Amino acid sequence: MKQHIIVNSQVIDVLAVLMLMSTIMLIGTSRVKTCVWACAFRSFLLTLTSGLIAYFSGIHHIYITTGVSLVLKVVLVPGFLFYIIDKVNIKKEVESYINYTLSLLISCGLVLIAYYSTLSIVQFENTFMRHCLPVSLAITLVGFFAMITRKKAITQILGLVTMEDGLFFAALSTSYGMPLIVELGVFFDILVSVIIMGIYVYRIKESFDTIDTGFLRELRE
Amino acid sequence: MLILILLIIPLITAIACVLIGKHSVSKYISIAGSFLALLYNIFLNYNIHVHRSLLGLNDFFYMDALSILTTQIVTIIGFASSLYSAGYMAAELHEGVVTERKLRWYYFLFHMFILTMLLVCVTNNLGIMWVAIEATTLSTTFLVGFYNKKQHQEAAWKYIIICTVGITLALFGVILTYHSSKGVLGEIGYALNWTDLLTVADRFEPHLIKLAFLFILIGYGTKAGLAPMHTWLPDAHSQAPAPISALFSGVLLNCSLYGIIRYHILTSKCVGPHYSCTLLMVFGLISVIVSIPFILVQRDYKRLFAYSSIEHIGFIALGIGFGGMYSIYGAELHTFNHAVTKSLLFFCAGNLFLKYKTTKMESIKGIIKVTPITGIILIIGVFAITGTPPFNIFVSEFMVLADGFASGNAFIIIFTSVLIVCITLIFIGYIYNIFKMIFGVSPETTVPKGEISKFTIAAMCFLLFFVLVISFYVPPLLREILSRVYDIIRNA
Repeated sequence: MKQHIIVNSQVIDVLAVLMLMSTIMLIGTSRVKTCVWACAFRSFLLTLTSGLIAYFSGIHHIYITTGVSLVLKVVLVPGFLFYIIDKVNIKKEVESYINYTLSLLISCGLVLIAYYSTLSIVQFENTFMRHCLPVSLAITLVGFFAMITRKKAITQILGLVTMEDGLFFAALSTSYGMPLIVELGVFFDILVSVIIMGIYVYRIKESFDTIDTGFLRELRE
Repeated sequence: MLILILLIIPLITAIACVLIGKHSVSKYISIAGSFLALLYNIFLNYNIHVHRSLLGLNDFFYMDALSILTTQIVTIIGFASSLYSAGYMAAELHEGVVTERKLRWYYFLFHMFILTMLLVCVTNNLGIMWVAIEATTLSTTFLVGFYNKKQHQEAAWKYIIICTVGITLALFGVILTYHSSKGVLGEIGYALNWTDLLTVADRFEPHLIKLAFLFILIGYGTKAGLAPMHTWLPDAHSQAPAPISALFSGVLLNCSLYGIIRYHILTSKCVGPHYSCTLLMVFGLISVIVSIPFILVQRDYKRLFAYSSIEHIGFIALGIGFGGMYSIYGAELHTFNHAVTKSLLFFCAGNLFLKYKTTKMESIKGIIKVTPITGIILIIGVFAITGTPPFNIFVSEFMVLADGFASGNAFIIIFTSVLIVCITLIFIGYIYNIFKMIFGVSPETTVPKGEISKFTIAAMCFLLFFVLVISFYVPPLLREILSRVYDIIRNA
């Protein structure tokens, strides 16, 4: 039994590292569509992880959230974003206020911060949470970073989805997910917020002729 | 079941408004719906008065004095705002700025907004509270961008992005709280229920709950408009239609603050009040200070009122942070006073916008001649909001400041002294800016004289009534709620 737990926690560790890598890919790539693919891939890994956790822990309601998250984050959200990208016809590459090399360095720094700041929480915990909580916080922070430094509205949405993924993973790794009703409410909110943001990307493109949010400067003191 | 009806009323109103497209009918439905909610809330108020707290629907809903105070503000401002909307939107419709089809969705989102705010206050589950606070953002994004010009789209984009990011950070706080409560309560579904959390809060792991409170304060603080996370607020408040701005300033900020107070109580119970009180005071003071320069040099009257909301939310956070009997009582009274007074001012702002078609203060002169009633109410409102005696805000500000000085804590006394200087500066900024608009030479251009409609006057008089009554007399029912809120915050 103990062997079993160690093996499955190792599988989850590997998945967590892959998730972190695909999140950092969001920072490192220049094409918008590649970013969406990276995001979708990370969400897929996350549903895989949560499926595994559901299987190993035997808690049934995780299966439901896994299913919903698979439909929502792996199929609907990326699909909707691809649709918006085609509709507003983005050709230019992802632009950032900070160049790629520096962004990558900063995200590595964020990963370190995530490990350091959760040290006091995870040191007494079981093996499975020990690696997953820092990784989930790192994903959240990198998503946050992508959101505040990227100029394109689409990449800001991707940053938001990344943050939510990180938090979903955090809830999963600390306490096997939140209560089902809360989890479903969170999913509903994410879906609606992504749709509303997508609509605004379209509207902003129509009136400003760009989705570079750096050009949004009508409102100033 | 009792509480559920409070949520069903706005839901039915929203659906009815969207089904009935004609504005001449739907405006009455909207007013009737929000009036019913107001009455029903008074009935609930009576129940709380008798039973102290209500639980409902398998412990899913929970109300105590703190929630009834917030829902009472929501329903009062909601009713005033739907009255005002009827007049304001009829004028906009008449000028062809909006279409009837758009107004359908306006009233739908308006009542959904009220529904989500009520849900924030009546849910027992802190996770659902998070979902509801996020839902307030989602239901109002289209209302911020209602007129759909460049500047409105920009404000809406900023609003949804900044608020969603902030609230997402708060989710981490919720997760940490759940984790620590699960450690005590075990593997059960209700480990996020307020009533259960409160009984075991003193057994949480202190560093976890401290981290959680920090994330909650940053997250919900974004939505409450605490500086430095306030950057969405002036844009959203100034670009939304006036009735929505009134709801934003009056109640949305209070709802987020309500979330913060709940976690403040949990944290205080676990690690003592010092930690969360200090954080609340620091963020509160920063908010008050940040708003000063913008109020002093402001050129847009709606933004002026928006920055003043940041100041008042900061003031309430400070009052709760001081932690004394009178400061908490005063801060909670201040939430009520600020809500009615600021909403009143936003109604005045809406009237001015309809009359002069601009939000720039330099192009507005001689309000008192063009719309005498709006002018007089604006004067009263400005004196009230700046804390001039004898008005209501003076009463609550005086309580908080006096308690700050009486606390005997050097740290708090310094904060209070800085606060007095800030309030004086803000008073100067307000009087200087607004009085140029109220008097001055009436413009020779053809600004039509007279008031907008009887609905707008009714809405303003309704709120003015509260402003004037509380200036001289706090009704016993409100007094009792406030002292119970003090018990809830203080004794946990």
